[in-house]
Amino acid sequence: MIDPLAASSRIAGAGMGAQSERMRVISENIANAQSTGQTAGSDPYIRKTITFRTALDRASGTAAVAVREMGEDKAPFKVEYDPGNPAADQNGNVKLPNVNMLIEMADMREANRSYEANLQMIKQTRSMVASIIELLRP
Amino acid sequence: MIESLAALASASSKTASVFGTGEFGLALPGVRQTAPAAGAATFGDLMSQVAGQMRDTVKTGEAAAISGIQGKASTQSVVEAVMSAEQTLQTAVAIRDKVVAAYLEIVRMAI
Repeated sequence: MIDPLAASSRIAGAGMGAQSERMRVISENIANAQSTGQTAGSDPYIRKTITFRTALDRASGTAAVAVREMGEDKAPFKVEYDPGNPAADQNGNVKLPNVNMLIEMADMREANRSYEANLQMIKQTRSMVASIIELLRP
Repeated sequence: MIESLAALASASSKTASVFGTGEFGLALPGVRQTAPAAGAATFGDLMSQVAGQMRDTVKTGEAAAISGIQGKASTQSVVEAVMSAEQTLQTAVAIRDKVVAAYLEIVRMAI
């Protein structure tokens, strides 16, 4: 049997890892918010999504978190009239990525808050372990 | 007097077995000694075990820190490894201090 406090630290670590992955996906989306296709009329960057699932931590037998899959947003692309763009089709329309900056910013905040919550969990666990060890000291 | 000493000795050997030391090898004159259980860890064994565990955890933490500097591991995993090493080290040191204090207490016992 693993120490419950050590297990909670591990689970919080898994949560931080998952939120780190989420931050990576969000930064990809934001960085590629203006990435158009290579050839005329081709599709631009497709917004990536990330979902999580419960993962059994085999070492401790507890429910941690892991990334379920990286998906693609099926929302339609934004279309802009810009005949000078190399990615424009014969009508002069350019397909822009289906990335909404507002949504990405909200997602970023949420990932940040979740990361902070997991970090706080580790801090609290650590202080609890330290205080129980302190009992042994004279 | 002898009975109370024997009770004290058996109590202290019980306490010692909580720490995993088993027998301290104290020879109290006139007090019946309980035979140490086969394979029971001695005090020296415990100390070397604690020292070995400390060395291993510190090594793990150092290896994690080095791989973090080389960019092979994420900052988070480095911090986790170093933190767990620190925690194990602190636990080991605290237990060692406690066991040594108990040992000295028994050594100083007036007979």
